Amino acid sequence: MIDPDARVEPPGDRDRQIIRRLEPAILLIGATGIAFEVALVRVFSIAQWHHFAYMIISMALLGFAVSGTALGLLGARIRGREPQLLRLGAFLLPASLIVCYEASQAIPFETLQLTTRPGQWGLLVVLYLTLSAPFFLVSWCIATALLIEPGRVGRVYFASMIGSGLGAAGVVGALFLLPADAVPYVLALVALCAFLLVGGSETRWLTAGTLLAVAIGTLLALRGPAPIRVSEYKGLSYAMRLPDARIVAQRESPLSRLTAMRSSMIRETPGQVSGYPMGRLGVFPEQVALFFDGGGVSPVHRFDGSLERFAFLDYVTSALPYQLVRDPRVLVIGAGGGTEVLSALAHGATLVTAVELDPGVPGIVDRLGSFSGGLYGRPDVDLVIAEGRGFLEARPDFRVDVLQIALLDAFNASSAGVHALSESYLYTVEALDLYVNRLSDDGVLAITRWLKTPPRDAIKLFATAVEAARVAGIEDPGDHLALIRSWNTATLVISRAPLDASRRAAIRRFAESRGFDVSWLPGLEASETNRFTVLDEAIYYMSARAILSADAEGFFRRYPFHVRPATDDRPYFFRFFRWRSLPTLVSSAGRDWVNYVEWGYLVLAATVAQALAAALLLVLLPLVLLRWVGWRAKGLDGARDPAGRGSLVACFAALGVAFMFLEIAFIQKLMLFLHHPVYAVSVVLTTFLLFAGLGSLYADRMRSSPVRQVMMVVLLLAALSVIYLAALPSTFRAWAGWPAAGRVAVSVGILSPLAFLMGIPFPTCLQVVSDRTRPMIAWAWGVNGAASVVGATLATLVAVHAGFRVVVLAAVLLYLTVPVALLGILEHGGAAGDA
Amino acid sequence: MNSPAALARTGTVNPVRSLLLMLGAGAALGTALAAQDADPYREMRLQMVSGQIASRLEGRSPVTDTAVLRAMETVPRHHFVLPGDVNRAYSDRPHPIGYGQTISQPYIVAAMTEMLRVKPGDVVLEIGTGSGYQAAVLAEITDSVYTIEVVEPLGREAAQRLTELGYERVRTLIGDGYFGWPEHLPFDGIVVTAAASHIPPPLVEQLRPGGRMVIPIGAPFQVQSLMLVEKRLDGTLVQRNMGAVRFVPLTGGD
Repeated sequence: MIDPDARVEPPGDRDRQIIRRLEPAILLIGATGIAFEVALVRVFSIAQWHHFAYMIISMALLGFAVSGTALGLLGARIRGREPQLLRLGAFLLPASLIVCYEASQAIPFETLQLTTRPGQWGLLVVLYLTLSAPFFLVSWCIATALLIEPGRVGRVYFASMIGSGLGAAGVVGALFLLPADAVPYVLALVALCAFLLVGGSETRWLTAGTLLAVAIGTLLALRGPAPIRVSEYKGLSYAMRLPDARIVAQRESPLSRLTAMRSSMIRETPGQVSGYPMGRLGVFPEQVALFFDGGGVSPVHRFDGSLERFAFLDYVTSALPYQLVRDPRVLVIGAGGGTEVLSALAHGATLVTAVELDPGVPGIVDRLGSFSGGLYGRPDVDLVIAEGRGFLEARPDFRVDVLQIALLDAFNASSAGVHALSESYLYTVEALDLYVNRLSDDGVLAITRWLKTPPRDAIKLFATAVEAARVAGIEDPGDHLALIRSWNTATLVISRAPLDASRRAAIRRFAESRGFDVSWLPGLEASETNRFTVLDEAIYYMSARAILSADAEGFFRRYPFHVRPATDDRPYFFRFFRWRSLPTLVSSAGRDWVNYVEWGYLVLAATVAQALAAALLLVLLPLVLLRWVGWRAKGLDGARDPAGRGSLVACFAALGVAFMFLEIAFIQKLMLFLHHPVYAVSVVLTTFLLFAGLGSLYADRMRSSPVRQVMMVVLLLAALSVIYLAALPSTFRAWAGWPAAGRVAVSVGILSPLAFLMGIPFPTCLQVVSDRTRPMIAWAWGVNGAASVVGATLATLVAVHAGFRVVVLAAVLLYLTVPVALLGILEHGGAAGDA
Repeated sequence: MNSPAALARTGTVNPVRSLLLMLGAGAALGTALAAQDADPYREMRLQMVSGQIASRLEGRSPVTDTAVLRAMETVPRHHFVLPGDVNRAYSDRPHPIGYGQTISQPYIVAAMTEMLRVKPGDVVLEIGTGSGYQAAVLAEITDSVYTIEVVEPLGREAAQRLTELGYERVRTLIGDGYFGWPEHLPFDGIVVTAAASHIPPPLVEQLRPGGRMVIPIGAPFQVQSLMLVEKRLDGTLVQRNMGAVRFVPLTGGD
């Protein structure tokens, strides 16, 4: 039963050159693909909002799967012409990177108009298709390379993985040096090099390559990169229309595009300033607004050393901790433009430790020179560039009197729920437990959040604090907590010692004088609540009581939003949506229900649904087409029976989903350890891809019995994953105090064995397919690509609902199915060949 | 007793008078039809009011103030949207008006106007003119409407639109609304449609004791609730978070 079409033909003379240069070219193409993906996430985070960025990119990635399916369908018809097809793909790729990026920025798509203008849905589809093209071509090149060297799929896969790893690391480095909008052009040059490697010595290809290089060079020299088209609904777009608005500084990094904008009309305060006698105490100092990706804003205040002008900061809820502690040592997490640092100083702080994640922020504050008054250079201000929690984990002896977690996002971003899927390890039970442990005996932790309608943020914060207090061994958490609110902010205070009578009186006095409502305080009567910002019910007070009662579980079950405490395993503090409440929301708000849920979550759910539907289509459509068109012998039907095809789909789908599940789960796990999402993403991606690449190289050498090899590998993977799940938290704690380079080294050490093992099954299985039914390689590649896209989005959805532990366990289970599916391919998948 | 019905009852039909009456009726019908032709959107407006604003639609508290309902029935909303949205102008949706701004959905405009409890003769200030629609609705109730827009082209277009539509009594200003319009204080009502992290203290000072201020809360296209600020006679404030939508009691049973 040898399939004559599947026989590997020796390469002709003119193709020897292409084979020799195949691997370096594929390395460059792999690097281009992943770097373009990362750059696009940045571009769309700046242009729109980051959750839509992921939606757009994940859909565009389906271009990967489409090319596999297309090549699979073409099957034997392209036999012998693979090198030409590779050259064509490699030639089109550089141009497509530029053309598609520029086209995507010319499409007048506005996410916020999706609900009001039906035409926007059409534009979204056009955007998907436009951005799919470069990914289609990247995948096309890799798949044709697999067809060119069917006997060495492991080596080609190795090259693509190494390229992807280098691309992931390289683009993060590049984003420190270049604006995101320049990256597609740089990548076009990288892709052009790949083309020159495979283009061979034929004059027409050389001419075409030269013309392309000249065209790109001319475009960049004459006009520069096309600017990112920023949504007109982002804060910066609006602020730039103020009459005297001007940009005074801009910094790019993989974290964000930071824009400093000056206008006499910028007046940002950390929430409602209630009862501030502006006539008597004067207007607020002038501000420069720092916009993050054109959205969230943090003000830098004009500061001449005189703290009296910041009296207004005593009229916001976040001033509460300073009513309880005199002359405190203060830690501000999320220092930003310095509002809370100034507040601490104005309230008599003796030393302020200002922790800021983004190094660009203090850089810009410094660049503003005399305007910012050298705030971060003061002797009583200690600036630390770090992630807040990582900073505390690394310093077990650090103690403060006030630990202040400021408003870290903008009011509008909060109300729109764009952060619903941002993992935040700042607001988990474990985090709050850590903060309380770093307080002095009289110390207080203060966390301020924007309020939402209907109420949910402050309630979840309260629930998280109660749980953290219980974890810390506090028997009666209610005695340590106070919650006050204005119309748009709430500040929760957790005191290390029980709040005594004098502190309770101070809280009451402060709230009364500022027009804030007290929503929780030990001994608070219902009649004392809900007086200044009146709600239909005293819902914050009632919720606090319920959370502290024996029936807290019943309250969480009944409350229409998800307000259970956030934990490190499910670090989604900003996710409040519950499917169970959807009917209630719809019956209450009708078509407007979407205004009351977190968009981030809905977008993720929609992305998973879209990816799943598209993947099914890509996997199933070819099978239907085969029947209709009758390509039985030439195309995908190389697998002789449906069972073989089913096994192939199961095998490569499981591999795609499981790989992404582990990758996403470990990015999350390392985010906490590496103190930085960008470091986590780049370290995990690079390590995973490089070591998975080495795994595939190993697989290329070990060909004797694929099923046994895959079985061994998945068992090892399962064991290692389970060990990691159990041991990583304590390992991370033990190494938390190490400098960044040490923690990166530890991360690489931990991840590399896992990644190496993860790199083995895919090329092993692909080699089995290649050896038996060669045209099926492309289809298997396509199935794996589609499954990877589904896996990447589904991993987050599973984590939101069940936690990352379940994501890892699900990946383990999926890997364990692979040997079974591989057996199915071997039994039903056609000729024995050389396997 | 000159109505056709009265004439029919008397049974004494004067043919000349009948002819004149018929001509008169025909002319009246013609005028009515002409008026309908002139404002083909009137029916849509009436449907908007009866279907979206005055009815208990999808959990909303219906707007019952007749002056507000009449104003909503009168102001030609389709003149306040972008050309591409004219046919959708009366739908239950906000619409983009350019410059990152929106015209609120009809119900929100009506609910905000009702919350202000505007009476003829009241002095009302609006911060954030936008398209000018809210100002026009207010101007249907009182003659003293002041509105400030910071985005210059938006403010210019709105001023011109208001004048063309006969709302020349609305006083418009292009500039910074943070400090209100001190020349015309105190205000009986203030609407603040520009998103802000805080209620500007100068606006509170310019609000007459007993006056009301309304602020919609939410991102563009997403008004989630309306904040009503009442200034008591002693100058203290009380805020009420008036959900744009009535939620079933949040802490109800299973």
